[in-house]
Amino acid sequence: MSIVGTDRPRIDADDKLRGATRYLGDLKPHGLLHGRLVLAMDAHATINRVIKDAALAIPGVVAVLTAEDLPTAMEGPMRQFEPLARGEIVFQGQPVALVLAETEAAAEDGVEAVIVETTSHAAVLDLEAAIKPDSPLARIRQIGGEMEGSAAMHVEAAGEGEGAPAPAAAAAEPVSANAKGPHRQQHGDATAALAGSEAVVKGTFRTSWVHQTYMEPQGALAIPEVDGSVTIHSSTQGAFYVRGMVAKLYGVDVSTVRVVGAPLGGAFGGKFNLIDPLVMGAALAVGRPVKLQLTRSEDFASGMPASACILELELGGTKATGLTAFRSRILLDQGAYGDWAMDGAVPVMIGGPYRWSAWDSLSYGVTTNRFGTGAYRGPGGPQVVFALEQLVDELANKLGVDPLELRLKSAAVEGDTGVDGDPWAPVAGREVIERTMQHPLYKKRGSLPANEGIGVAAGVWMGARFPSAATCRVDQDGGITVVTGAVDMSGTNTSFAAIAADTFGVPIESVRISYADTATAPHAPPSGGSGVTYSVGQSIRLAVEDAKEQLLDFASDQMDVAASDLEVVDGMVRPVGSPDRGKSVAHFAEQVTGFVATAPPIEGRGRFAPGNPSPSVACHVAHVRIDPATGEVETLDYAVIQDVGKALNPGLVRGQLQGGAVQSIGWALYEELQHDEYGQLLTGSFMQYAVPRADRVPNVDVDYIEVPSAIGPFGAKGIAEAAVMAGTGAMANAVAAAVGSRIRELPMTSPRVWRAANSR
Amino acid sequence: MIPAQFAYRRATSVADAVAALADPDAKVIAGGHSLVPMMKLRLARPGTLIDIGGLPLRGIADGAEIVVGSLTSHADLAQAAAFAAAGLQAVAECAAAVGDVQVRNAGTIGGSVAHGDPASDAPAGLIAADARIRVAGAAGEREIAVDAFFQGPFWTALGEQELVSAIVFPKPAAGSASAYESIEDPASGYPLVGAAALVTVAGGRVTAVRIGVTGVSGTPFRATNAEAATLAGAPVADAARLDITGQDVFGDTRFDEEYRRHIAAVVIGRAVERAIARAQGGSQ
Amino acid sequence: MSDQDTALHRVTLTVNGTSRTLDIEPRTLLVHALRNELSLTGTKIGCDTSQCGACTVLIDGRSFKSCTVLAVQADGTSVTTIEGVGSGRELAAVQEAFKQHHGLQCGYCTPGMVLATVELLNQNANPDEAAIRHGLAGNVCRCTGYSGIVDSVKAAAAAGVGK
Repeated sequence: MSIVGTDRPRIDADDKLRGATRYLGDLKPHGLLHGRLVLAMDAHATINRVIKDAALAIPGVVAVLTAEDLPTAMEGPMRQFEPLARGEIVFQGQPVALVLAETEAAAEDGVEAVIVETTSHAAVLDLEAAIKPDSPLARIRQIGGEMEGSAAMHVEAAGEGEGAPAPAAAAAEPVSANAKGPHRQQHGDATAALAGSEAVVKGTFRTSWVHQTYMEPQGALAIPEVDGSVTIHSSTQGAFYVRGMVAKLYGVDVSTVRVVGAPLGGAFGGKFNLIDPLVMGAALAVGRPVKLQLTRSEDFASGMPASACILELELGGTKATGLTAFRSRILLDQGAYGDWAMDGAVPVMIGGPYRWSAWDSLSYGVTTNRFGTGAYRGPGGPQVVFALEQLVDELANKLGVDPLELRLKSAAVEGDTGVDGDPWAPVAGREVIERTMQHPLYKKRGSLPANEGIGVAAGVWMGARFPSAATCRVDQDGGITVVTGAVDMSGTNTSFAAIAADTFGVPIESVRISYADTATAPHAPPSGGSGVTYSVGQSIRLAVEDAKEQLLDFASDQMDVAASDLEVVDGMVRPVGSPDRGKSVAHFAEQVTGFVATAPPIEGRGRFAPGNPSPSVACHVAHVRIDPATGEVETLDYAVIQDVGKALNPGLVRGQLQGGAVQSIGWALYEELQHDEYGQLLTGSFMQYAVPRADRVPNVDVDYIEVPSAIGPFGAKGIAEAAVMAGTGAMANAVAAAVGSRIRELPMTSPRVWRAANSR
Repeated sequence: MIPAQFAYRRATSVADAVAALADPDAKVIAGGHSLVPMMKLRLARPGTLIDIGGLPLRGIADGAEIVVGSLTSHADLAQAAAFAAAGLQAVAECAAAVGDVQVRNAGTIGGSVAHGDPASDAPAGLIAADARIRVAGAAGEREIAVDAFFQGPFWTALGEQELVSAIVFPKPAAGSASAYESIEDPASGYPLVGAAALVTVAGGRVTAVRIGVTGVSGTPFRATNAEAATLAGAPVADAARLDITGQDVFGDTRFDEEYRRHIAAVVIGRAVERAIARAQGGSQ
Repeated sequence: MSDQDTALHRVTLTVNGTSRTLDIEPRTLLVHALRNELSLTGTKIGCDTSQCGACTVLIDGRSFKSCTVLAVQADGTSVTTIEGVGSGRELAAVQEAFKQHHGLQCGYCTPGMVLATVELLNQNANPDEAAIRHGLAGNVCRCTGYSGIVDSVKAAAAAGVGK
């Protein structure tokens, strides 16, 4: 039997299709209070006073909480440690107060009645200006402490306009305290290597802030229990993560916080402990259950989207050997909080899936008065790919070689030195690029009508290596129950079921995947970083193998056959070669679970730390048509070619890659969180923030290849983030081919395309 | 998001609704797709809503003129064969361009027109068709020519105590055809610019033309320079630039004013081209 | 406004075939009435501006965004929510098509998407891909990239949904 590798429906499909799945917003415990946020109007200000009286007079309004009302035990430079503004407002949309009421309507009425009196300060928004030594500071009161929050509370004040000393670095660029860095990766003599290249190209690229736009807005519910503990139901990617962070913030023992992950209505990296600190603190403050589910407007205004970047990049190459060297300087707008900012990683990521002989790559994280940085699928990737892959195309053009040929020559292979100085793990860049060369869409690019273009790009996601554990129980009826603390993200439970069924030898109908909360589950990492299936899937395989061994040991005694001569096939334990002598798994399970059992129940345990990641490489091919008169871009066709290691469920794999492709089209053409010069958000609803709709995107053809990982279960690699690591580049190259000139700013909106088309 | 509190009454007749409008804090609600979103954002907070949804103002009567009840949905308008038969394809195309299926099912032509949203599709078709807006008030019914109806953003000739009861479309001369062209905001689906052109072709030349433009400025308008060019057989888009020059054009950081002026001219030209092709028997 | 008018209003709806009477504030949106008063939580809320379509229900057989309809406006109508599409735990053919063709991932847009599909196929039993994409333009999905959804709608049409 082989369930792994076959296309099967999701195990949660029926519930979701019937509307029966209980998301966070569908939970309603007794005594529930509804929260609604008072959001900052200023981008940067000092709070003088919050006037609550009028709000508290509204029938149904129970409390108006500000930072002082939350029983926090520490502070740190992360949004997660500052759930409500503490004295200083650092972005427009920042939560300043939380209104609690008996009904949602009363909570909204209350928000309208709260008055926040402030003194405004200069909003720091321009990245280049912000890092200059004389720049005003985006955060007047500097908060010390470790980003991870592991250090003890540590606060230091810095006077306005007083820049912190520039970090000691070879860059020697004097910078303000708004700048974090430089983060720098250097190898060889990049200047000499560029000078010695046959061709050199360079450019400055700008990308936009982009919102994850999960369809279910962020939400969490905290319930104070009679013993003083708190149960948090949360639309979160990481239950254990939330538990640790809120326990630290409120100075309580982790054992007094139980986090139950609710089914995720999309997350894409964005659902990590944004709401949990608020409802936890509120529940502790008022002693009643508190739920806060953001409205879409609140989510746009106060969420944690993906950073904008300015990328300066120069790269060189030769016709014979491909890419040679690059130099880059990246300014990453981390906003007011850098919780998930990738400023330290982008100097590495901008090297792409390629081998280089020399590089000098640096970045700064820049604090500004916009949001804070969250994680969004392949964080940092869409930004660096937009710059790198356009220049690789330009370089190929300059060298007179096929763009994929240049990439093929330059693709890194196992053991090559990566930009971070570590050797590359096994990586299938060459295989993916070769496959892409054969794709009909790519082959079509030479014979297109006017105003059409086909573009290609390559990218890589290195993959995560979180540790995890799982258990596997054999049930009385011969079924098996796998217990995991990993929140189902994008169908991971469905893949877990296939792994368990094949590993044990039972039909998939006999496999139950049981999600357990932080009180009872084996440890699980956050569902993110393309690390769930890769790590938890392997823990589950090990747990199931352990359970199977226990079963076979017991059956061996009962059947008087050596365990090594037994196999489990289709729910039957049988001697190898004698299928007719089989007995059902249930037969044995009954004997170890009954009242007079002579042997202990079967309970397998698996734990796993991958040690190394398994990078996944993807190529995207985009076909667009532009209307030169209006600049409108129509995406006519799209293909994804990606190494997935092993497709545990081909249908789910296709869906992941198609979803990633369309998110890439969104990044490329439509999506941008814009602020005006005062830091006011201009695109705070779907009226202004455009996500791709069905009629604006084509079918996405998926042509995955399987170069097995030696680490992931059944050879699987993490795939969901590599799926957005090439798209902005492919779209940009397609648009450039159609327009005849390049656009170096995301998104490539119709006015930008129109101007490019009329300046060629 | 939830609207602020308001009082609610269901009108039992047009007269009843008009009487209720004596309260200056009252607002009429039909489909609600213009008003309810603004109420949820608390940008609109009427004291009383008068629901005319149950009144018999729905339907399309095709006679010497086409009379469309104000409660007729965009979906029904989009599917009505009467318009294409009369050469008023643009009217149905405007309705088809509104929002999405659900919005077209809920939104009404009367509500859209009364709301006076400068970003809606419908006014272009009404202007091209030289429609009349029939309104009911305390003194009975009157009709307002479309050219006098739209006066500014969310501002129309509708009196305080009046409601739209129907839109009347005169049938153009034989040999007429029309078309609506628009470029939509990829976020909202509203037109960045929409242009409807109605032409009459006789003896191989255009003998009459009306062009309505919406979305691009605070008030939907007639593109009279483009109309003159069309009659003269001159390049329409070039002439349309003059029409746009006289307008206070919207511009924002996503779609700036210069761009919108440019695409307005392009879209006007395309609407005229397609209308002429249709009138000349093309299948466009 | 008078106290009498802002007082609770009585609304009678036929929801998934059953007559339901509610006494609600006039400002109650239909989606909140369904979710909070009738515990029909399958209908989702994904935005504030009637763009996303997660709240799509059928009113008298046509699709509407229930976040932009006041419950009082729906008085006397017949409303179908996702809970009324199949029967009990049995999936209707349209739901089965979504299941088999990966027309869903996180599931949050799914109830609205299914009801938008019912409307689409009721209006056009054999839509081509362009018609499907146009017909679902009022429903945002962030997970699937729409390919699986389009496949599902095609399969539902082939299965005779809408005929």
